[in-house]
Amino acid sequence: MVDVREDILARLLAVVGTIPNIRSTYRNNLNIDETELPSAVVLDGDEETNDSTDLSMRPANRPTVVQMHPEILIIHQDPNVGSELDVLRRELIKRVLNDTALNEQIVKTGRFGNGAIRYLGCQTGVGWLRDLHGGLKAQFLFKYTLRPEQL
Amino acid sequence: MIDYSALLYDPIYDVLGVPATLTAGASEVELTVLDETRPKTRTEGGVETSSVGPGAFVRIPELVAKGIARDQWIGAVLTFNGRSWIVREAPVQGSPNGEDLGEVRFLLKEAHLG
Repeated sequence: MVDVREDILARLLAVVGTIPNIRSTYRNNLNIDETELPSAVVLDGDEETNDSTDLSMRPANRPTVVQMHPEILIIHQDPNVGSELDVLRRELIKRVLNDTALNEQIVKTGRFGNGAIRYLGCQTGVGWLRDLHGGLKAQFLFKYTLRPEQL
Repeated sequence: MIDYSALLYDPIYDVLGVPATLTAGASEVELTVLDETRPKTRTEGGVETSSVGPGAFVRIPELVAKGIARDQWIGAVLTFNGRSWIVREAPVQGSPNGEDLGEVRFLLKEAHLG
């Protein structure tokens, strides 16, 4: 059984856990206590194909190309939260785009296959709690082959 | 005209007030404040963080009597109930007897001291 989607999301959680100074990592946890900050949360992404326009005679169980858009949220609380989030963002982007397991074994980019990993952008927000609190939500795109016979 | 200071604020501060120290520049004064620190959450990107929103009410006549001018409020260090905070905003609350006889709500942030 090979489930590329699950492998990507599981690997992303492992990757964000290597970011220096991150105190907690979660997948799809929507409630964090301030004592766990800085925290990184991997949010499962929507998945889509172009198959709605493919009404050919192609057998239903043939491989198709999928794009998934997971999001990673980094939350922090610090008087210099803007700069601190930028440091964490740098580490996040660098680690996801350069990760060997994602590129070579799971998504299979470049000479390893026809997959792709892209950083799409991020949104930020700040506000007050006990201290200045901020969040940075980064979007990535993963393009990979879905092989129904392997599921 | 009802004297809100004597009939409202004084009894409330007598019962609920706690001793505090306000340090503004070279001035350090003893005050009575109402601890208004409450649970607070903030949601970023769909993820909610639980924390507190620290705050305190202070009577403006008490600040004036102790020589603390309005332009000294923001940035002052306020210590009460075992914690020290920095005043980051100070919205005046007003009163039926005029804002100068009312309260100020100190919005606080963590004091990263020493």
